[in-house]
Amino acid sequence: MSSRRSRSRQTSSSRNITDDQIHDLVSKLQQLLPEIRNRSSDKVSASRTLQETCNYIRNLHREVDDLSERLSELLATTDTAQAAIIRNLLMQ
Amino acid sequence: MDSTHSNTFQESNHKKRRKIGDLTTDQNSLNLMPWRSESDQNTYSKKLIEALRRINSPEATTTTTKPRVAGQVRETADRVLASTAKGRTRWSRAILGKWKKLRRHHMKVKKAKAGSGLNRAGIEKERLRRLPAVQKKTRVLGRLVPGCRKVPLPNLLEEATDYISALEMQVRAMTALADLLAGGTSAGIAGQVLS
Repeated sequence: MSSRRSRSRQTSSSRNITDDQIHDLVSKLQQLLPEIRNRSSDKVSASRTLQETCNYIRNLHREVDDLSERLSELLATTDTAQAAIIRNLLMQ
Repeated sequence: MDSTHSNTFQESNHKKRRKIGDLTTDQNSLNLMPWRSESDQNTYSKKLIEALRRINSPEATTTTTKPRVAGQVRETADRVLASTAKGRTRWSRAILGKWKKLRRHHMKVKKAKAGSGLNRAGIEKERLRRLPAVQKKTRVLGRLVPGCRKVPLPNLLEEATDYISALEMQVRAMTALADLLAGGTSAGIAGQVLS
């Protein structure tokens, strides 16, 4: 695995990137996307993969925004004692 | 016959040992999915809590409005996420750089348009990249991943892969934290500590 990484770095500097390598990366990306992972990944085009990737990243951003808002409300109401207890919990 | 039996026996043992190794110290699996390990998530959660407590100081909360605090939480979460990445990736360095610039200048850095960034002279055999649909989506993706507007396609795909895993971990950690803060009364949390 590490050899693949070093190879991709070398080739990117010499600009000889093959279609195969791109297909490799695209399939790795496909594995992460929940939409595509559940269906057959053979038929998914690169364009579709990119589209799903953009959608997924936007969804994750939105989730993080919602969680940030939720956390900001919770932080306002919780007191420092609870925060200390939580900290201890996480340090175990 | 004996040798084959012993070989298969050894092989099954070897597989068992390897599985246990995978859970703890397998470098390859950690490299492939760096954001999936529990230790990474714990590191992130701890740093996040410490950073959030600093925001939550009494002077700050009385003067700032709610949406601003939420924005601060988001920025903090992103910054802590980027620092947990330890500078391995382009997007993490971009987030950290953006945050430092915002602190100093309080201005958004406008990035130059990436239209001229793609050097087409060097790319001759990559038909995939020439498809207009792919190029359009590549540009959109480059805008979504921080610091990756001018990045060529294969690097962009690598960054996106890592970024997605990191975002998923961020969501998991923040969800756990929010549940912990919301669901636990002090008695409940004390009960968990003692158990």
